[in-house]
Amino acid sequence: MKKLMSFVVDYWVYVLKGGPKFYAWLGFLCIFVIGWTYGNFMQLSEGMIVTGLTDQVSWGLYLANFVFLVGVAAGAVTVVFPAYVYKHEALHDVTVLGEMLAIAAVVMCMLFVLNHMGRPDRLWHMLPLIGIYNFPGSMLAWDVIVLCGYLVLNIVGGFYYLYKKYSGEPLNKGFYMPVIYIAIVWALSIHTVTAFLINTMPARPMWHHGMMPIRFISTAFAAGPALIIIVFTIVRDNTKFWIKDEAIDLLSQIVVWCLGIALFLTLSEVVTEFYHPTEHSLGLQYLILGHNGLSALVPWFWFSIIAMVTSFILLLIPSIRKDHKKLPYICALTFAGIWVEKGMGLIIPGSIPTPIGEFTQYTPSLIEIFNSLGNWAIGFIVLTLLLKGAIGILLGEVKYANE
Amino acid sequence: MQMNKRTLTNMIVKESKIVAIFCLLILSIPSAAFAEDKVCFEGREGASTVTQRDIGEELKNVRCSDTTDAVLWWGDPFDGTQPMGDMPIEADYTHGEAVVKPRTEQLGLYAVCGIACHNGTFPPPVEADAPPRTLTMHTDLVPDALNLQHGNGGIWCLDCHDAKTRNKFVDNAGNLIDFNEPQQLCGKCHGQVYRDWREGMHGKRIGEWASTGKKRWFVCTECHNPHDVQQGERKSGFAQLAPEPAPQLPKGMDNADHERHGSGH
Amino acid sequence: MTDHKLPVVYNAEKAAPDAEKAAPDSMSRRGFVKKAGGVSATSLLGTAALMTNTDDAQANTEWAEWFQGNYRLMSQEEKAEAVARLERRYSAEYDKKVTVDSTPAEKGVLFGYALNIQKCIGCRRCAKACVEENNQSRGDQEIEWIRVLKMEKGDFDASKMSEGYPDSYGIQVGGNAYSASGVVLEGEHYYEPEKVPEEDAFYMPIQCMQCEKPPCVKVCPVRTTYREPDGIVVVDYNWCIGCRMCIGACPYWARRFNWGEPKLPKEDMNPKTHYLGNRPRMKGVVEKCTFCVQRTRHGRYPACVEVCPVGARKFGNLLDPDSEIRRVLATKKVFRLKAEANTYPKFFYYMD
Repeated sequence: MKKLMSFVVDYWVYVLKGGPKFYAWLGFLCIFVIGWTYGNFMQLSEGMIVTGLTDQVSWGLYLANFVFLVGVAAGAVTVVFPAYVYKHEALHDVTVLGEMLAIAAVVMCMLFVLNHMGRPDRLWHMLPLIGIYNFPGSMLAWDVIVLCGYLVLNIVGGFYYLYKKYSGEPLNKGFYMPVIYIAIVWALSIHTVTAFLINTMPARPMWHHGMMPIRFISTAFAAGPALIIIVFTIVRDNTKFWIKDEAIDLLSQIVVWCLGIALFLTLSEVVTEFYHPTEHSLGLQYLILGHNGLSALVPWFWFSIIAMVTSFILLLIPSIRKDHKKLPYICALTFAGIWVEKGMGLIIPGSIPTPIGEFTQYTPSLIEIFNSLGNWAIGFIVLTLLLKGAIGILLGEVKYANE
Repeated sequence: MQMNKRTLTNMIVKESKIVAIFCLLILSIPSAAFAEDKVCFEGREGASTVTQRDIGEELKNVRCSDTTDAVLWWGDPFDGTQPMGDMPIEADYTHGEAVVKPRTEQLGLYAVCGIACHNGTFPPPVEADAPPRTLTMHTDLVPDALNLQHGNGGIWCLDCHDAKTRNKFVDNAGNLIDFNEPQQLCGKCHGQVYRDWREGMHGKRIGEWASTGKKRWFVCTECHNPHDVQQGERKSGFAQLAPEPAPQLPKGMDNADHERHGSGH
Repeated sequence: MTDHKLPVVYNAEKAAPDAEKAAPDSMSRRGFVKKAGGVSATSLLGTAALMTNTDDAQANTEWAEWFQGNYRLMSQEEKAEAVARLERRYSAEYDKKVTVDSTPAEKGVLFGYALNIQKCIGCRRCAKACVEENNQSRGDQEIEWIRVLKMEKGDFDASKMSEGYPDSYGIQVGGNAYSASGVVLEGEHYYEPEKVPEEDAFYMPIQCMQCEKPPCVKVCPVRTTYREPDGIVVVDYNWCIGCRMCIGACPYWARRFNWGEPKLPKEDMNPKTHYLGNRPRMKGVVEKCTFCVQRTRHGRYPACVEVCPVGARKFGNLLDPDSEIRRVLATKKVFRLKAEANTYPKFFYYMD
């Protein structure tokens, strides 16, 4: 118990102490949190009327970010899976960093869901026993289970590992390995279930097809490791912790192949829907071409396609892929492309036209943008602190002093 | 009320001033008494009006549209109704209570019809088989009697209105029909529609949904204008009316121009 | 077939809800408040009042409402308590005596609706009557549960007989001489002509279909929306968490969300309400058509049926072979919107 207490204290003392660069970064993120505070105050007091959402487009920026970030959270498995299943040594050293990223991503997911709710004060209605939890009927109920479960698995797995490192004790493999293996499968489940959340609705033909889960997973396994590569590069450049080239090289390979699969699936969908367009193709048509002068999403779509295709082609070239100077920028492009493809480009046109054929435009309001930026900022604050603590322990800068 | 006044103006110009002034006096009493009340219409503009009033329990008898004056809501669906009377209910399709709103209250000239006018001596009565002629009176209702917008040229006034007793209709056998029971008149030609109406499939009823429930039946002339049932080129039994306003445009939309597509726009 | 005697005039007060009938007469509503024991809403109300240290009745009511359970699972006592609480709050808020009815579904009744698409003239009175009856938000936050679509009748063009596409080698794969209309997704929602019906159009009103297999109910994570025994799909506004899954799942776009605090002027408020129907809503919750449950459970037609100037709307008990609705189904040509969605709508469209 004493050991655990000292872990908590040492951990927090280390995490909160840093150089000017560290505080500048946190300060920068806090600027967004100020906007977030204002945005949330407005939304809670006035209602969701302060957003750009309407009865026609009732799922918007918040849910778009949610869906994307579930992918990022699931993408963390691209670190864990090769490390434990293929015994990839370079990744094995940094598994815990992947877990920390997953925690931060799930936290962001939850913040976005809270923002999406009309009555966040009534979320207790979902709690079993005092409320009604519509399980297994509601996909949202499944999603809550898998997300919370994934959060718990990563906190348990990640902090157990860090604690053992901190105290210098050997891992109890009988406990740790099952957690890791469950977490690997669980990562797939969170994104599958999130895909099921939207593709089980026949009312929304753009989403209602069986390709959705695999598209979700392929984009997740491109966007997730893309972000991890960026993070690893930043860690390498700014800390004493050195992440091996092999780790980054394997991740960039995962990015390129998953990006390729994602593009192939997009192509398949476009051909299927455009060869002989039906009523059910109208959402995709609106996204790609616009409709009678309504074309708010068209630039988004083409940006995402160009971003994804460009980064795919660049990443296919080994000399560029292995150039760790250029790689983070390409990864940023991939990340942005997928963010649009899976966010604005998927969630919004699912609602346009409405099931009875009304075309509208949706533009996020400033409040929505404030809240979304704020959620990302909070996520990055969490990520920064988690990574700092984890790296400190991995470096041995934080360890149990037994005297 | 306005329409009545216009009718009367025509009369004053064309016919006996004494009768007209008498009629004006009778008709102006209710319009003066309820001058400030909102008057709305149920089915036909000007021909099925209802005056808004309180009926207790914070309710009004009707709620009306601000833009079209149409009745939108009935606080009491049976307000101002009376039993349907001797309406023959031949089949056992309904066991419920049927009520109607008297049509005569809607007819501006009904009060004087049969008393001051068409009273047997003034104006001189015509024979039932008299040939169609142009009208000098009632041209506001029937602008061109030789081209009556009902029956595609096959009928004229005295096929429905009794030649002698003008405040009654007449059926095929020469029996008189009350103005409050136009269905008995219309049914003599429109048998299929009449049967559908009796069974509750044609036309409108308000009140209780149960087959045993009490219902106010809307009678033919509450929706259709018998003197203009063809509606000219439209060949439709129901007159065009002003629609209620379009729904609010959703946030982010300034107009609905994108909807105007395809032909004709 | 029910031989149940219906009240002559629609009046929620006269026809006492079964909930109250079932309770002993001595148990007044105040009695319920006193007797409800355990961790009931009342004791929590007391706790909340102590916590907030306020005498404000409004705040207490809101606290109590916040703690109340799902309507469907409440005991008769809790229901009566919730209803009394709402009546007090609404009456104060709207400056008139507001009644909140809790009449349950009647046995042997399954509500059904039929709309004669041949007759509809597109006047939108149904949509407005619905607002008058059901206390939707007005003004710049207008909510309408019925949407009327204008359908053009399609176009045939002799001059385009040979304007096919692509016509290389002179072979036409397709043509442009006929442009179809009349499919749902080509409807106009915001038509505003001087007069309706317009010459080359027909109209299609769409509202909640009260599906037998409602996709919206399936997706609700907290079971706040559910099917009542008489076949209507309702929302417990006090239990809704505002996730809008149901809005996504509905193939008929029949659900609306209160994006802000609803704007319902006092003078427009309809004081005859039902807990599951037209009682005033709060911000952040979903609402929908209930076939005017506050009326139909007391025998009265829904407001949209009554207002239709052409009598295109028919309503009644699907289990009663003598009802208007059953006669329509038996003798007219009937279809259901998006039957392929397998939702089993109890709202039928028909033609003579």
